[in-house]
Amino acid sequence: MASVPAGHGTVPLPSSAGPQRSRSPLALLMRQLFRRRLVVLSFLIMLAILAVALLAPWITPFNPTKMDILGRLKPPTAAHWFGTDEYGRDVLSRVMLGARLSLLVGLLVVVVATVLGTLLGLAAGYVRPLDGVLMRLTDALMAFPDILLAIAFMAALGPSLYNVVLALGIVYTPRVARVVRAACLVVREMPYIEAATALGASTPRIVFLHILPNLISPILVQATFIFAYAILTEAALSFLGVGVPPTTPTWGNMIAGAQQYFQQADWLILFPGCAIVLTVLSLQVVGDGLRDALDPRLQKAK
Amino acid sequence: MTGITRRLFNTALGSAVAVGGLSTGFSAGILGSWTTPAQAQGAASVVTVATIGEPPTLDPVGTTSDLVSIITQHMFETLFTFDGDWKLAPLVASALPQVSADGKTYTIPLRSGVTFHDGSTVTADDVVASLDHWTKASPRGKTVAPLVESIAAKGADAVVIALKEPFAPLISLLAMNNGAAAIVPKSVIDGPGALKSLVGTGPYKLLEHKPDQYIRLVRHDGYVSPAGTPSGYAGSRKANIGEVRFVPVPNAATRVSGVLAGQYQFADSLPAETLPRIKGAAGVKPVIVKPFGFPLMIMNTKTGVMANQKLRQAVLAALEPNDMLLAGLGDPEFVQAEGSIYAQGTPFYDETSAKPYSDHAAGKAADLLKAAGYKGEPIRIMTSVQYEFLYKMSMVAQAQLEIAGFKVDLQVLDWATLLQRRGDDKGWDAFFTYHTFVPEPSLITVLNPSYPGWWDSPAKREALAAFNREMDPAARKAKWVTLQTLFYSEVPSVKVGEFYNLAASSDKLTGYTPTPWPFFWNTDLKG
Amino acid sequence: MLVYVVRRFAGMMIVMLLVAMVVFLIARVVPGDPAAVMLGSAATPEDIAALRGRLGLDEPLLTQFLLYLGQIVRFDLGESIFLNRPVSQALAERSELTALLTMMSVGIAMLIGVPIGILSAAKRGGLIDQTSVGLAMLAASVPSFWIGLTLIKYLAVDHAWFPVAGYGPPDADLMERMRHLVLPAIALGIPNSALILRFTRTSMLDVMSHDYVRTARAKGLPPLVVVLKHALRNAMIPILTVIGLTTAVMIAGAIVTETVFGLPGVGNLIVSAVLRRDYPVIQGALLVVSAIYVLINLTVDLLYAVVDPRVRY
Repeated sequence: MASVPAGHGTVPLPSSAGPQRSRSPLALLMRQLFRRRLVVLSFLIMLAILAVALLAPWITPFNPTKMDILGRLKPPTAAHWFGTDEYGRDVLSRVMLGARLSLLVGLLVVVVATVLGTLLGLAAGYVRPLDGVLMRLTDALMAFPDILLAIAFMAALGPSLYNVVLALGIVYTPRVARVVRAACLVVREMPYIEAATALGASTPRIVFLHILPNLISPILVQATFIFAYAILTEAALSFLGVGVPPTTPTWGNMIAGAQQYFQQADWLILFPGCAIVLTVLSLQVVGDGLRDALDPRLQKAK
Repeated sequence: MTGITRRLFNTALGSAVAVGGLSTGFSAGILGSWTTPAQAQGAASVVTVATIGEPPTLDPVGTTSDLVSIITQHMFETLFTFDGDWKLAPLVASALPQVSADGKTYTIPLRSGVTFHDGSTVTADDVVASLDHWTKASPRGKTVAPLVESIAAKGADAVVIALKEPFAPLISLLAMNNGAAAIVPKSVIDGPGALKSLVGTGPYKLLEHKPDQYIRLVRHDGYVSPAGTPSGYAGSRKANIGEVRFVPVPNAATRVSGVLAGQYQFADSLPAETLPRIKGAAGVKPVIVKPFGFPLMIMNTKTGVMANQKLRQAVLAALEPNDMLLAGLGDPEFVQAEGSIYAQGTPFYDETSAKPYSDHAAGKAADLLKAAGYKGEPIRIMTSVQYEFLYKMSMVAQAQLEIAGFKVDLQVLDWATLLQRRGDDKGWDAFFTYHTFVPEPSLITVLNPSYPGWWDSPAKREALAAFNREMDPAARKAKWVTLQTLFYSEVPSVKVGEFYNLAASSDKLTGYTPTPWPFFWNTDLKG
Repeated sequence: MLVYVVRRFAGMMIVMLLVAMVVFLIARVVPGDPAAVMLGSAATPEDIAALRGRLGLDEPLLTQFLLYLGQIVRFDLGESIFLNRPVSQALAERSELTALLTMMSVGIAMLIGVPIGILSAAKRGGLIDQTSVGLAMLAASVPSFWIGLTLIKYLAVDHAWFPVAGYGPPDADLMERMRHLVLPAIALGIPNSALILRFTRTSMLDVMSHDYVRTARAKGLPPLVVVLKHALRNAMIPILTVIGLTTAVMIAGAIVTETVFGLPGVGNLIVSAVLRRDYPVIQGALLVVSAIYVLINLTVDLLYAVVDPRVRY
């Protein structure tokens, strides 16, 4: 458990994303977003990591699974920039492959949590009788600390990459659901929704065509943060031995596997650790930038 | 819910106070009794031993876990034990048993005046009850149970075991310190379940057990030692150290750094890579234990693709043990590519029958695969990261088998799950485990037909029975060679090789004898 | 107000019932057999089956759940399979460490978060502000186990300034035990200081935009006095709130930290219980930790309602 999700949960952060009141065109958003140099830089780093992740199978300097028992635990050299691990495998290549796997987990968690959370949130926010039941359910799920709930699910499901996705997806669903519900409650009172209802538009039509588009920005902000936390929590789960199976070189697994050796070979945890920090940090900066750019209140304040 | 929370905190507070009070009381008492003979030792007469984890129990009878034996052998004693050359020697017994000419009746004389931790004296009745309990509760005892005709006291200081047929390994089984035939008071035996209280005859007794924190054993002042020069586990035993404290430290790196920092006086099972650091550090020396054990890839001879003998032979031909050993243990000093189940220098060593171990002629595996009619069925191999070296070996095995043309489904489970799954013959084709050195071949688990893998061909059954019936040492050796020949033609498992254990001890700890199950009587702390 | 409290309390009870259900179900569908683990590697399937029967693991699921609820109502968390003692006792034995660790980490997180947050707000937009906001974000991005491993390597192994692991010998006094917790508390405190820092900063900024602060400034009071005397006092309530919530989060964070440092606390117990398939311990620990979590959340909410009349209830 590395951090408290800043900006959501039960903490009423003054700057938390509110429902978007005026839709700004993409260009305007981009301009808002990129006004800060740090955000631009983080966005570029994110793109770079994403590119490495996508291209990993073709661009790693060595075969990341090729063992060289005699060349094990060698410190960084000109040939092996990040050194070699306890099987003599190239650490740089494995960190690159790790990007692919860690990002995959993060992205899939975002998809699961966003889809489930949005559906639940819309149901709770628009269908009054469901509201109480669904919110109690999210309350119950949020009554567990993230990592604890994830561990419990992983213990039940058994270690596998997709089970990690499922467990973390369930863990983060309530966060999305809450935000969507809150925003939905505001939007549904808008005059144009009333107008649509009066015109006899069907419920699905109203929900998906009129309400949902207005919720895109808070969902987007949430998704960015969940992406970051999913990567952190996956690393923690794998570190504890209850996450992705150790044969899969996610960053967390690389650090977990190096525990025995890092006191002699600190490069084994240094590089995967830096990869995690860099990814999570740039995601958080971009998420913050997005929130600021999308939050009309803050815009006025500036 | 507030109730639970409040109660929890109250209990926490209460128990913290209680434990604090108790431990101060105890240590004061202990110090009081020690200060006279060894004033200088003071607080130093505690040896802290870092073990690989929390033992599942402290009952020595019901489990064959090595970790349990390491700790409990200080508290409990068996009738017999092994000396430095792995020969049998008496412990609670006063001498080796007299065996009748037909090999069916064992008369075991007992030492007189041996006392339990509760102060009572060991009687022949206690011994009979303990042995009877062993045949019902111990996995080892249960294998003997069907052969036992009767166990009875003979007078006040002897016990007679009558067998239905000759069974040569009996005394070795009685001497093992796991699944142990521990001698306990009749009153603590509670059916086949765990002992009611942990009372034994050993040089140390249990003071306090806090799971995941420590197990404190203190000197048993009324201990009555066997006679003779100490050799291995045999000979006289003296508790020089006032308290032996076992601390579970599951993380190997922590065990290493802790022993280097002087937090522990002894640390067990360390990664071979840390040998240079231990050698280079002041105040600490490495302890290399050999023989220690051998990793095994056990195959399912009962159900699934591996029931095909030809396919198992192909696996044997495809695996290159040297790579596996080196990847697993990391240092050539800690491994030996040895096919004979017993390594060179031990009585049951035989090279010829183990030839197939080193025969990896090009194309041999492929020919066998073809002969087996293998159609690319995935081989489900179970392994666990809890034993790092096994996990690494299985990674290498996977790579080698795939090169040879197998399809491998490597399943990484936690050890608990692996133990559960291996009981189901439909769920797996092979798994990795290791076997600690045992002085008597019939104690090797793979030979037990009910052990997962279920090796039970008619030829093997017959050879094992013949081996167990044979009482003459030379003839036993020949019969063992027959068994090992079968092991290499039927290939129920692959013996990967020999590996040794690295431990580290403080320079201050003297008199320590390296054994697979470290013990601390007869050791002392100086300085 | 009373109605609000009662309603929140009733809501909490429902949540806890759901929590109990989730907890029970999760622990039951876990693969792996406690009996096999307890008996060691040479156990035969018959031995394992016999032990399962003795431990009641063969009862139908519903019977097991009703039994479980009945126990919870009587504040009985069951008996640990592996540890041979009541779960409540196992938790109690380990709670001192986790409580102490949480307190020390909160202390560290506060010491870092609050002053820097205030400074950052006072110098809004300046170099200090930007740096500290950046650092906060960095701190929130670092896995705590990575910080822990790094601290062990450089401060405990390379320089023996701190103990490598553990909680000291059984007779260690409080100071000695706390010394064992310094590195873990730092590893846990740093990532969590980020939230406190950011929250302190935003609350301060919020308060400082109010008229009375502007008035104080206009009166010509020194900036430091304005910040500390006028603004901080009013920003303290939300700051204390977030500290409360951080405490709740850290109890969970202790799971990872205790594992890294080999500390026998509640978090370590949970991870070991999962590996040992100790069902009652998994259930009990999950239930108690989430109960504490819910309770802290509720307390914070109620406190908030008490001090801030603007909160609707």
